[in-house]
Amino acid sequence: MKYKYFIPLLILALAGLAVGAFGLVDRLQHGLNPTALGSYIPWGLWVAFYLLFLGLSAGAFLVTIMTYVLGMKQFEHIGPLSAFVVLVALICEVQFILLDLGQWHRALYQFFLTPSFTSLLTWMFILFNAMLVIYALKTFFLIRGDLVRWSKDPEKGGLRGLYGLLAFGKTEYTSTDREKDMHKVHILAKISLPVGLIFYGTNGAFFAVLLSRPVWNSAMTPLLFVVAALLSGGALIAFLTYIFRQKDPLNPDGLCYEDRICLDLGKVILFLLVVFLALEGMQFFVGYQTATIAVVTSLDLIVKGPHWWVFWIVHILIGSLIPMLLLIFRAGDVKSVALACFLIFITFAAVRYNFVIPDLAVYKLEGLEATFAHPRLRTDYVPNLNEWLVSLWIISTGLVVMLLGTRFLPIVTENGGTDHA
Amino acid sequence: MRILPKEDLLVRMQRDLARSLAGDHASIKWAMVIDLAKCVGCHACTVACVAENKLPPGVVYRPVTEEEIGTYPNVRRRFVPRPCLQCQNPPCVKVCPVTATYKDAQGITVMDYDRCIGCRYCLVACPYAARTSDFGEWYTKGTPEEPGKIVGRNACADSYERQPAMEYGKEWPERGRSSPVGNARKCHFCKHRLAEGMLPACVTTCIGRATFFGNRNDPESLISELLADPRVFVLKPELTTKPAVYYLK
Repeated sequence: MKYKYFIPLLILALAGLAVGAFGLVDRLQHGLNPTALGSYIPWGLWVAFYLLFLGLSAGAFLVTIMTYVLGMKQFEHIGPLSAFVVLVALICEVQFILLDLGQWHRALYQFFLTPSFTSLLTWMFILFNAMLVIYALKTFFLIRGDLVRWSKDPEKGGLRGLYGLLAFGKTEYTSTDREKDMHKVHILAKISLPVGLIFYGTNGAFFAVLLSRPVWNSAMTPLLFVVAALLSGGALIAFLTYIFRQKDPLNPDGLCYEDRICLDLGKVILFLLVVFLALEGMQFFVGYQTATIAVVTSLDLIVKGPHWWVFWIVHILIGSLIPMLLLIFRAGDVKSVALACFLIFITFAAVRYNFVIPDLAVYKLEGLEATFAHPRLRTDYVPNLNEWLVSLWIISTGLVVMLLGTRFLPIVTENGGTDHA
Repeated sequence: MRILPKEDLLVRMQRDLARSLAGDHASIKWAMVIDLAKCVGCHACTVACVAENKLPPGVVYRPVTEEEIGTYPNVRRRFVPRPCLQCQNPPCVKVCPVTATYKDAQGITVMDYDRCIGCRYCLVACPYAARTSDFGEWYTKGTPEEPGKIVGRNACADSYERQPAMEYGKEWPERGRSSPVGNARKCHFCKHRLAEGMLPACVTTCIGRATFFGNRNDPESLISELLADPRVFVLKPELTTKPAVYYLK
């Protein structure tokens, strides 16, 4: 990323933190009272954002699959970046879900004291922590050599102490150390395959097991979650690979190493986009064909409810059709591929929103919301200012960590990442 | 000397309750029957429940839904009180990640407020929307306040709100940020009243005597007689949740 973008983006992120802090303080002082959530739609914007960041964290998982399952070794070079993105996404995820809890402090110990293994939320907690540990270790082993080197580099000035600390005091880094670290990275990558697959699938199963939720309650939901995660996470990684590319000094006008990775990723993203849209199409087809009132009502809310534009304009047009056309007809143009990937991951919040809200609004008992009138007992929901401010705060924390990490840690190297091969 | 030509059903249920509580507690399985033909939709049960459990705004354990059945001119209204159905196969229990909700020995699905993390997964899992979340609302929120005058929060309305709820036989602290604020809340068949030998508040306040309560394992009880009625049905039987709240058509 060019230096000129770093400061404006950092200022933007800090401004986001400052503005979002108003919402955060309100949330911490008054619990869930300042939100627009209710008992009939108990999950809202924050859960939708949680799912968005869950998907974005799957980028490294996709890279791991391509590298170790499909044997596409060129993707090994974006290992540090993709592993770091997972950490940033997980940091955002955990904030969204903690702040969505009515008694969030209890989550810090109650999962250990009285866990229930029949609940998929418990398994999500376990798998989330497993992912966090795996990717923290993976990032560490990938960048340890650079950390040691930077801790001795006079050019790094006052940050040398920090790098030494992050390298756990290690002062020498031999080729044997490097081999050992890479071996550990390979083992972690292989462990992350089943763990990641189960993690993303479990997040889908979390919704799918609810018998009373007409659209969620399908064996296809976990599969849809895995594909959605790979698609949105892969798109983010492709976009970031483009953003952090380093021009080849020998051929400044030609394609650099990262450009070629971005183009390769573009092909994978196109495939995943088609699969995702096919699965989504099947969900609608089967739902409308079964003609169960609750299913049809839920699907109708998505396609012709008050927020129809979220589906048709944001998701289908901007997030699917335009990227698909770009990925098909401008597949050789790295800017177009990066733009397509940007559109996919940025609009994926709409997919998550449409997944969470409409199904909560249907299949209640008839007349329920009319009998005991209160804003907390309604089946319509629009996120309020507090929810947006808290979301802004959390996303800004992610952006700050991302900016500082990529600038001051050896996440993106100057030689196209070949150091990490 | 008999004063009434017929014994009030409440007296019969009270006697049934005393008999069950005097016997083996392990054999008790509480159940409720609601006769829709008798319910007049007065909402007295809803209000009694709110008062008994000191429920804040937006939290309701027993709303009464109203349905219009048929087409003009052949239309009628039907009122369906909906407490927690105390399912014998409860979807809410399975999904709780910290075992904060569970079935007690007598078949009531209870909440441990001190354990609940407020994830609201149980709210989403309940097919009957029988759980509500306590978002920390106050009836007197935003009302004027004048020291020394009988207006606003420091006057009568506020003193009502400051009464502790006695749910689960415990005196809950003054409402603030501590539980049950931030928790999932639900009907528990007035478990704290049952412990004292009293019927649930919704049963005793039902003016049409449409709500019946008792031990379904006691063959002599009124509830057992009613459960043999061919008019018995349950809500959403297709979900196989096996509710312990039955309705009479």
